[in-house]
Amino acid sequence: MPGIVNEAGVQEDNILFVSFFYNLRERGIPVTPTSFLRLQRALCMGLIHSLKDFYVVARAILVKSERYFDVYDQVFAHHFEGVELPDLEDVELSEMAKLLLEEWLKNPAAVAAALDVDEKDLSKLTPEELEKYFLDRLKEQTEAHHGGNKWIGTGGTSPVGHSGYHPGGMRVGGISRNKSATKVALDRRYRDYSQEGPLTQSQIGEALKRLRRMIPSGPMDVVNVQKTIYETMRNAGEIEIIFDRRLADRLKVILMIDNGGWSMDPYIPLVQTLFDYTRNQFKDLKTYFFHNTIYDMVWSDTARYHKPELVTDFIKKDPETRIIIVGDASMAPYELMSEGGSIYFGEKKRSPSIENLRFLAQTFRHCVWLNPHSRRAWESTWTADIIRKVFPMFELTLDGLDGAVSHLMSRN
Amino acid sequence: MVQNNFNRFRGASRYVLDDELAKIVNVSIALEMPLLLKGEPGTGKTMLAYAIAENLDMPLIVLNVKSSMKLVDALYQYDTLTRLNDSRFGDSSKDVSNIEEYIKMGKIGQAFVADTRKVLLIDEIDKADTDFQDDMLDVLDQMEFDIIEIDKTISAKHRPVIIITSNAKKDLSDPFLGRCNFHHIAFPGEDTMRMIIGVHFPDLGRETTDACIKTFYALRKLEGIEKKPATRELINWIRALKADPDFKLSLLDRGDVPYPGVLYKKSSDLKVATKAIARHR
Repeated sequence: MPGIVNEAGVQEDNILFVSFFYNLRERGIPVTPTSFLRLQRALCMGLIHSLKDFYVVARAILVKSERYFDVYDQVFAHHFEGVELPDLEDVELSEMAKLLLEEWLKNPAAVAAALDVDEKDLSKLTPEELEKYFLDRLKEQTEAHHGGNKWIGTGGTSPVGHSGYHPGGMRVGGISRNKSATKVALDRRYRDYSQEGPLTQSQIGEALKRLRRMIPSGPMDVVNVQKTIYETMRNAGEIEIIFDRRLADRLKVILMIDNGGWSMDPYIPLVQTLFDYTRNQFKDLKTYFFHNTIYDMVWSDTARYHKPELVTDFIKKDPETRIIIVGDASMAPYELMSEGGSIYFGEKKRSPSIENLRFLAQTFRHCVWLNPHSRRAWESTWTADIIRKVFPMFELTLDGLDGAVSHLMSRN
Repeated sequence: MVQNNFNRFRGASRYVLDDELAKIVNVSIALEMPLLLKGEPGTGKTMLAYAIAENLDMPLIVLNVKSSMKLVDALYQYDTLTRLNDSRFGDSSKDVSNIEEYIKMGKIGQAFVADTRKVLLIDEIDKADTDFQDDMLDVLDQMEFDIIEIDKTISAKHRPVIIITSNAKKDLSDPFLGRCNFHHIAFPGEDTMRMIIGVHFPDLGRETTDACIKTFYALRKLEGIEKKPATRELINWIRALKADPDFKLSLLDRGDVPYPGVLYKKSSDLKVATKAIARHR
């Protein structure tokens, strides 16, 4: 592409590049004008000699996260080689069909049951036919009604989680020595990076890293310069070194986990990861368990039997303690609102659960509710909507955790 | 100047570089922008900085970021205690009334005041908090910082080549990203990996290489592993195999994997892997 290099060429090609830029923006890549100008500078400096160069350099300058590399590849191929941009919905559906196929290979019975078809009928089909069949079924589903049948919906125990977790693992792109840029772009080597995987412990660690409160503790081994000078002067110039304790993290955290009921079952691994991380991370961590919502008692054993603790006793705890409640916040309205609403027989109740929740929210300034369901789901759940008014509620995702941490560490 | 620097970087003796990455490194040097590298641990992010330094024949300065680090630690240190001591006993060769003699440069400071151009590697930036990251980019953008104790501005004599690495899955802040070029090092494919092994073990036979690569990529496909073995682990593993006089290639063909502990660093991963290996045998 000699046109790119000479000055006049830059003028002509500008329109092409500008529309490329806007195309990237439209597809949701946060490209900034500054970075676009920087790309122009690279062009003017004669750093780019071929379309392949342009592909690589533009990506390094414009795109700042591997999550967008796949979209970039698609836009690039579309823009410079006229490859048609796929309809977004179709892409999602075909991805979903592939996932279903993989799921089928692992566990045919479960998929057949979810689809409500006979396993034997499907097993006669070749993988390609199966994929086609799944795709057709998925199209039917989206056209017919949204959110009715569980298996493609976002809730419940569908065989294909809505999180887009790709069980196939990372694809490996080959080396690109002899390929044209569009070929490389068409390979879509970064497809797997563009999907959000499940939260891993290290990701939770990243999100919760800011959750700390530094106070002096441990041996006195840090020199306090100000005080040393002051004391030395008081001592008529004879050096008097003053030591302080090192700052260490002493944040108190209470984690309350809803561990009862089938509705939380799909999230057990997720909550377990969160729990493992926090247990390792925070020196002063107490964990309690409850079912659906908090009544007069919470338990520090998972069976919710041996070690009950009165919620009203929480008033004795440090009000600076950070409270993190994990639960789906969905239950029957009476469980939350009525006196004696507990679904457990024999649990004597004095006040409705919502009062206990309000009590916690008033006692501790810093509390959040983490909900493994997606935000959309809680808007349509009556009880979740009520609880949201008491506790700030966040999704149990990377972004949600980030928001929760910001809230927990805010000053008021 | 640009022409001189450009295309100078072509890979180093111990580092296998793909075309894409070489281009990005060269453009970043020419545009005088820091290059942010992300990628699975063990894919050679840190090694790249060493390779650039070796190739461009510039000294390398490494700033290992720690979570408790403050920006000023990376810039300079004012050694108050020594000064206090000197002022009390007066037996030092330094001039106590001159604070400047008690200022020590941190890693970024060293790169700025050096008489030659340096490669500055800022390793694992994600360990520090966002304020540190943003403030640091300000300094690297302006190429100068103030030493408040002596009211002096230190400007870079030569703009260092800046490489920043991050292990984080989460993105860094927008202002930070806005000032960097970005590259994600994808996990190398089998062909690239063969070259990497060739660079590290030139005398390793083709058969052994193939068998190791085959076993290694099969192991990476195991499910339920939190930290998959990466290039670094593979190289260490081959080193272990070579050091073992009893090792025979037929072991790998049979599906046996000696020294799984070299490949898997987490005890839970090791357990899962050992089980899977036993099943395949």
